[in-house]
Amino acid sequence: MRLLRLSVMLSAPLLLWWVVSVLAQEVWDTAGATEVNTELNLPELIDKGRYLAIAGDCEACHTAPGGKLFAGGRAMEIPRLGTLYSSNITPDINVGIGGWSLREFDRALRRGIGKMGRNLYPAMPYEAYAKITDEDMRALYAYFLFGVQPVHDAVPANRIPKPLSARWPLKVWNWLFVDSEVYQPRPDQSDEWNRGAYLVQGLAHCGECHTPRGIAFQEKAYDETGRGFLSGGPVLDGWEAYNITPDPVSGIGKWSREQLTQYLETGHVNRLAQAGGPMAEAIENSLSKMRGSDIAAMVTYLRDIPPVAGEARAPRHQRGQPASEVIIKRGNPIAVDTHPADATKTSDGARLYLGMCASCHGVDGTGTPDGYYPSLVNNSTVGAESDHNLRQAVLYGVRRTVDGHKKMMPGFANQLSEQQYEKLVNYLRRTFAAPPGK
Amino acid sequence: MAGMEAEFIIVGSGVAGALVANELASAGKSVLMLEAGPRVPRWQTVERFRNQVDKTDFMAPYRSAPWAPHPEYGKFANDYLVFKGSHKFNSQYIRAVGGTTWHWAASCWRFLPNDFKIRSLYGVGRDWPIEYADLAPWYQHAEQELGVWGPDDEELGSPRDRAYPMSPLPLSYNDAQVKQRMNAHNPDWRVVTEPVARNSRPYDDRPTCCGNNNCMPICPIGAMYNGIVHVDKAEANGARLIENAVVNRIVSEGDRIVAVEYRDSLGEAHRIEGKTFILAANGIETPKLMLMSPGRHHPAGVGNRSDMVGRNLMDHPGTGVGFYADKPLWPGRGPQEMTSLIGFRDGPFRAEYAGKKLHLSNMSVVERATREVLGQNLEHDILTLNERIRDRAARYVEFNSFHELLPQPQNRIRPSATEKDASGIPRPEITYSIDDYVKKSAVHTRENYAEIARVMGGSEVTFSDEFAPNNHITGTTIMGESAEDSVVDKDCRTFDHPNLFIAGSSVMPTVGTANVTLTIAALALRLADRLIKEA
Repeated sequence: MRLLRLSVMLSAPLLLWWVVSVLAQEVWDTAGATEVNTELNLPELIDKGRYLAIAGDCEACHTAPGGKLFAGGRAMEIPRLGTLYSSNITPDINVGIGGWSLREFDRALRRGIGKMGRNLYPAMPYEAYAKITDEDMRALYAYFLFGVQPVHDAVPANRIPKPLSARWPLKVWNWLFVDSEVYQPRPDQSDEWNRGAYLVQGLAHCGECHTPRGIAFQEKAYDETGRGFLSGGPVLDGWEAYNITPDPVSGIGKWSREQLTQYLETGHVNRLAQAGGPMAEAIENSLSKMRGSDIAAMVTYLRDIPPVAGEARAPRHQRGQPASEVIIKRGNPIAVDTHPADATKTSDGARLYLGMCASCHGVDGTGTPDGYYPSLVNNSTVGAESDHNLRQAVLYGVRRTVDGHKKMMPGFANQLSEQQYEKLVNYLRRTFAAPPGK
Repeated sequence: MAGMEAEFIIVGSGVAGALVANELASAGKSVLMLEAGPRVPRWQTVERFRNQVDKTDFMAPYRSAPWAPHPEYGKFANDYLVFKGSHKFNSQYIRAVGGTTWHWAASCWRFLPNDFKIRSLYGVGRDWPIEYADLAPWYQHAEQELGVWGPDDEELGSPRDRAYPMSPLPLSYNDAQVKQRMNAHNPDWRVVTEPVARNSRPYDDRPTCCGNNNCMPICPIGAMYNGIVHVDKAEANGARLIENAVVNRIVSEGDRIVAVEYRDSLGEAHRIEGKTFILAANGIETPKLMLMSPGRHHPAGVGNRSDMVGRNLMDHPGTGVGFYADKPLWPGRGPQEMTSLIGFRDGPFRAEYAGKKLHLSNMSVVERATREVLGQNLEHDILTLNERIRDRAARYVEFNSFHELLPQPQNRIRPSATEKDASGIPRPEITYSIDDYVKKSAVHTRENYAEIARVMGGSEVTFSDEFAPNNHITGTTIMGESAEDSVVDKDCRTFDHPNLFIAGSSVMPTVGTANVTLTIAALALRLADRLIKEA
């Protein structure tokens, strides 16, 4: 090491020449890229691209928590693969996409092929972005090149075990599973329907989470003609994306048009559903900022795709009964007071509910009349077929900022032992996820 | 557990200890906190409180552990504090992970610039070895850490560079009505919105206050700041915490502290070694521990060359008034306290009698009114009784006050020579008297109480003239310029031991005229900054 440092010192003039030449190369590159692309540096086109980037929710993955916009570095745990870090997609010439041509940009978004010809991991929803029209692609490119502040920070290297880090299998995967066609409007449907289909299948990439995955983790369908499209996805990062087909029992067939619209715009419909986890992020960064006409189009399309029945016997938002245990518990000492020395004596689920949840959600679990504190009765998260999202909410809470208003529920991981956690979830499910009429 | 060690050992996990721990841990230091009491999750305290019949007993939900008693009164009285002197120092504090801010009203006042120099200005008390300007940036930092809301459109007398982290929730109807009528009558009273560590919006991943109106004894949802917030943060940043660790001796070699010894809940003895020690066990347990630790070079206890350890005990002796206003005000909606009268915090009168702050209670008085009406044993039908309870619960007004008690060496805490707790550790013995400086001020306060009652059209005016404790336990390891009459220097370092520091209310040279927690927090953050820069 010391030898190396010595040789560097001796070759300082050489180093200087090297630095100067690299800088010169960079200046040349920048100039080249700028010259080629000035025809795209148009305020209107950039604004259009900015809106499309919101619709595509590029921010969700390409901005790290607390990090700079589109500077990447957000860690993503991919099952059976390892940890990926999203890339810097600011127009920085070295670490971002400042040196990319429109053709290279297009190829990355549509086919998942990076500048150096390497295949991108399909954490990038290029299967969905393949549907983007050429015109929209140009606008996106113009925005990322001329409308975004360059950030010079490089992102950490991906952490993938050696045998899995080869990229060539991705080519095979793409050949097998990816259907890279620009969205073709269906002449038998209205313009609004087609706009909705274009957004849902493409930029909004709903299927990325909401469509079931096959054996190679590929989405089973990329549009309404495929089996199982949007009928509920796998558990990712602990959260499960539900069936959002119009099936009246397993999907959202019983939601009114107004309810679905309000949900997509705010993430909150009392006595129906509240968005948490990745859906809260999608609403915060993307859906809540989209035009009313685009939300309306997506709603039209979503309400018209083929319903897919699942195993549920009652809709997830029509389950549960108000709780009544407070009458029994109030005045009776808690278990730790009755058995102070016995660590195995933990309070039951009803007691844990009263101590942790009832101050906001009410002793009976129906929340507040205005829905600021949501009802747990008739609540999609509590009543869903699986309890994954309920568990995430209990442990880590819910956060959602829409129109500058932040809604949050704190997580309770710090306050619960493993045993208490199970008792609480069990109680919540028994009470607020009970089938109707029980 | 023998052989455990850390670079920084912090005794106590309340707001002071936890803030220091979190700052040090965030800077990558190795930190160990020792807490005498147990870790009690919020939900348990909430459920104890909800089960309790007498809702006015704020300590009933916090039962002390047998190995770490804290003062309990009323139904669970444990006579932990031994009282001497003319007045009982019947204070409260909590020995549990997170400390006494589990139950407080969250008032976060900065001291006034003049509070730091009452000796030079008014010829009473002591000057601080630092000025307001030295602490101002740390007040700001503390307000951010604790999450304070405060009024940006009212002059509170403590200059600030930046806006409060949050704007206040709207005043309760009670607070708004009383404030408006009082300020219209006498603008010099200056009834203002009180700065408090309570969320008016989601802040620091804690929710917005939803007005349960039981800040004391426990905020059920964590909208109000509690020391546990920084215990959790410190642990997330790598600090370790041992609960149920009752430190009973500080071990020294020469002038350096080398270890502390503690007993666990089973009475087993342990020893922890470290490089730097921070005592943050409040104004009673910190001096008690120091006085319990005599060494060859310091026979009168650790840090006690000045004989000032345990002396200069201060608090804010309070008096009160209650009456029925001429109109319904509906106290009990929103937080328990939202406004204060600050017109008597400072002025030349402080040469003669104590500066003070008065505050309006916004606690629900339904229980009080119900007991009272039922106690009158009137023959009424249910509807009339109900109407009467509603009327009285809606019109009751209560004010309380904090009078600045001056530091006096004869007011002191020491380990009792005869009385021991369940683990055989001496109980705190407190000698305490309230002098004419406060009594004279209380007479003036009473006159103002009477005037407030008149302004509010009050009837059935009842004065509480007996001084009540306000649990602002200060002065017992006093800060000063000189090793001759002080325990710590302006950096909170003990004069006698270069690696022993004190965080918390006990270092305060004066108690000022407002709640002390924000000053505790500011001093703790300033101390942590010194420690990081020195290490």
